[in-house]
Amino acid sequence: MTAAGNWGSRYILAIGIGAALAVAMGAALLMGFRLATQLHADIGSLQTASALQAYPIEVGRELDSLREHLEVRAYEGNARAALGESVRHFDENFRALQAADHGDAARLDRINTQWRRFHALIDPVIGFHAEPYIDSDTAGTILSQAGRAQFARVRRASLYAAEHAQALRHELAAITGRLQTAASAAAVRLRGLLLGGVLAALVLAAAAAWLLISRSRHERAAREAQERTRDIMRTVREGFFLLDAGHRIGSVWSDALIRMFNREDFAGLSFHDLLKDLVPSETLATAAKYINLLWGERAHENLMKSINPLSQVQIIRENERGVKETRYLQFDFHRVSGPRGIKHVLCSVGDITSSVLLSRELQESQGNANAQLDMLIGMMRTDPVQLVSFLDTADAGLRLINAIMKEPARSDAEFRRKLEGLLRELHSLKGEAAALELHSIAERLHALEDLVGACEARQELSGADFLPLVLKLDEMLAHLRGVREIASRLALTRETPAPAAHDPLATTLETMAAQLARDHGKRWRFDASGLAGVPPRYAQTVKDCLIQMLRNSAVHGIETPQLRRSRAKSEIGRVSVAFRRGEGGYELLFEDDGAGIAPETVKEAALRKHLITESEAAAMDSRAAMALIFRPGLSTAAGVSMDAGRGVGMDVVARCIRAAGGRIGVSTNPGKFTRFKITLPATDDSDSAVA
Amino acid sequence: MNGTAKRDFKLLIVDDSNIVRRRIERSQEFEELRLVGTAGNGAEALELFSRTDPDVVTMDLTMPEMDGIECIGHMVAMKPSVRILVISALADKATAVEAMERGANGFLNKPFTDRQLNEAIAELLR
Repeated sequence: MTAAGNWGSRYILAIGIGAALAVAMGAALLMGFRLATQLHADIGSLQTASALQAYPIEVGRELDSLREHLEVRAYEGNARAALGESVRHFDENFRALQAADHGDAARLDRINTQWRRFHALIDPVIGFHAEPYIDSDTAGTILSQAGRAQFARVRRASLYAAEHAQALRHELAAITGRLQTAASAAAVRLRGLLLGGVLAALVLAAAAAWLLISRSRHERAAREAQERTRDIMRTVREGFFLLDAGHRIGSVWSDALIRMFNREDFAGLSFHDLLKDLVPSETLATAAKYINLLWGERAHENLMKSINPLSQVQIIRENERGVKETRYLQFDFHRVSGPRGIKHVLCSVGDITSSVLLSRELQESQGNANAQLDMLIGMMRTDPVQLVSFLDTADAGLRLINAIMKEPARSDAEFRRKLEGLLRELHSLKGEAAALELHSIAERLHALEDLVGACEARQELSGADFLPLVLKLDEMLAHLRGVREIASRLALTRETPAPAAHDPLATTLETMAAQLARDHGKRWRFDASGLAGVPPRYAQTVKDCLIQMLRNSAVHGIETPQLRRSRAKSEIGRVSVAFRRGEGGYELLFEDDGAGIAPETVKEAALRKHLITESEAAAMDSRAAMALIFRPGLSTAAGVSMDAGRGVGMDVVARCIRAAGGRIGVSTNPGKFTRFKITLPATDDSDSAVA
Repeated sequence: MNGTAKRDFKLLIVDDSNIVRRRIERSQEFEELRLVGTAGNGAEALELFSRTDPDVVTMDLTMPEMDGIECIGHMVAMKPSVRILVISALADKATAVEAMERGANGFLNKPFTDRQLNEAIAELLR
């Protein structure tokens, strides 16, 4: 840039010198012309003067010749005519000299005076027209009277000529000399001028040559620089281009852009047009605002970098083989400043697909590792006996699921029954996994439930719809095998199962209660009593049922602290479980001081799910309505979450209780409480254990 | 501005969480900043702004009553020379660009460290 500026000033200097030289040459030529004109005039005068120089003598000689003619009485007409001619020539030439030469007026005047006198003597001689001779018999031819007078005039004139002709010639010679000197001086001056002119022309030519050479050198350098820029732009792997204030791409851009955008018409293309088919319009609008901010100069570079909306852009494009592929591009913007503020914005585009994919992989594997770690921690927290018991239950559950899947089914209704069975099993397994904080298993079961739910939503069911389920189940079984293996390794490293501080079932439920409260943003106190006295035969049943009911309390029962406050209840809810021996068996009480269950709400939900008809609903009393909560497929929760809303829950509880030969009843007061009372028949072993 | 005398800047902190407000107030290490008020929502912030005429504002974006973006627009309209540092949990670039376009001078993502906060304020005062 500085080199170019330098060159520019030198160029201007050279032009100035050239112009000055041209003016000087013009002036020299003009002066030369004037000198030459004067020289020409001087030479004319010189010729005239030198011609005049000869005349006085010539006139003298002619006067002598005329006298001799008169003396020998020869014909004197020709001599007189020649004299007249000479005098006329002198007159003419002298007048010319007077007109041309202004150098020495005094001398010219003197010549003029002398000549006038001479002229006065000669004029009568020339003007003589009479017969000069007369013939006499005695003396032969003699001068006539007029002839004598003529002769006397000729002699006088001749005498004057002999006396003054030489002086006149000298005067004329002096003029000639002076004119010669003047002419030669003018010639010298002219030569000098010509020399100067030639020199100036030479300098001008040299300056022009230098100018041409340096200009071509400069052009070559510029061309080379351009070629180098082009080489860089061709080779560099990033896309580079400049944006002007109108967001248009400049004429220089790197070839990497061709690969990135599958086009070549970048020069003059607007940034908007470059991206309009590649990124969402909101992103594009944000990008435009962002580039405007760059031009605004208000925010510094680091801040601008941190809010760059195009720092990672996902685009879909066709590769060389015409296959669509997803790429990630990173746009970076830098301001290019000049003396008068920002000139351009330099945009560099990098293909960061591989690094994005790599970091994603890294994240995934980190996630997997975290999940495994979570699972490990969950397993370590879990009592090994409980863990093994869960794994056994899960195995049994999945076997049952397999069995359900294998059941022959033809009609849509049969398929749907199968799905319902699957959902119930999965749901209760998930509840147990969550209670044991085996989140990785719970999440997998949740995903499986989602899949079954999606099947259920289909219009027509066929055997093919179950295929993805089979695959997922296999995965689930493999995962459980992995868990079992880790469990057995853990069992090896642990010496003996730590003796439970108190009842393991109560601990599990307390952990679960705390977790549920956190998940649902609720607060409650959980009390459990008598769970140590649950006979082994009922242990599984009691646990399954309590887990389910606890989840129902979390979702439907206990209100949020704000709601409780507004209903004038204590912000902290209460959930209590009590197990005790009763008349002829056992009694399990589960109670929460939550929202209770409104029979109308249950009826409405059952109507929505088409479990009952309108007329049935109308005929139902509140007791019959409450019994609906033990029917499969009823849920009153608004959304589906890990813990509720899938329409299985209380029906599982009811089924378990009935399978164990027991009964379940519910009493509720809307807005105040819900209480489940479960009775189980006495067992022989329990009798002895308790007794 | 003029001479070597240190200029005082009046600071207004706007955030709907009083924990964040206290955190900003305590963590900033600039002697020339003098706290003139804190506000928990946009409307309150504007009222305080017109009353105390602050030079520097830290601004949350998601607030009740009036959101931060709108608030920035009003403040800049009232006092073009005000310097606004947006401190927001909204990490998307569109929001940041929008805030800058409305006239904010800096952007800091929540959660932030003391050092990040002070660097952002230093940048703002420069």
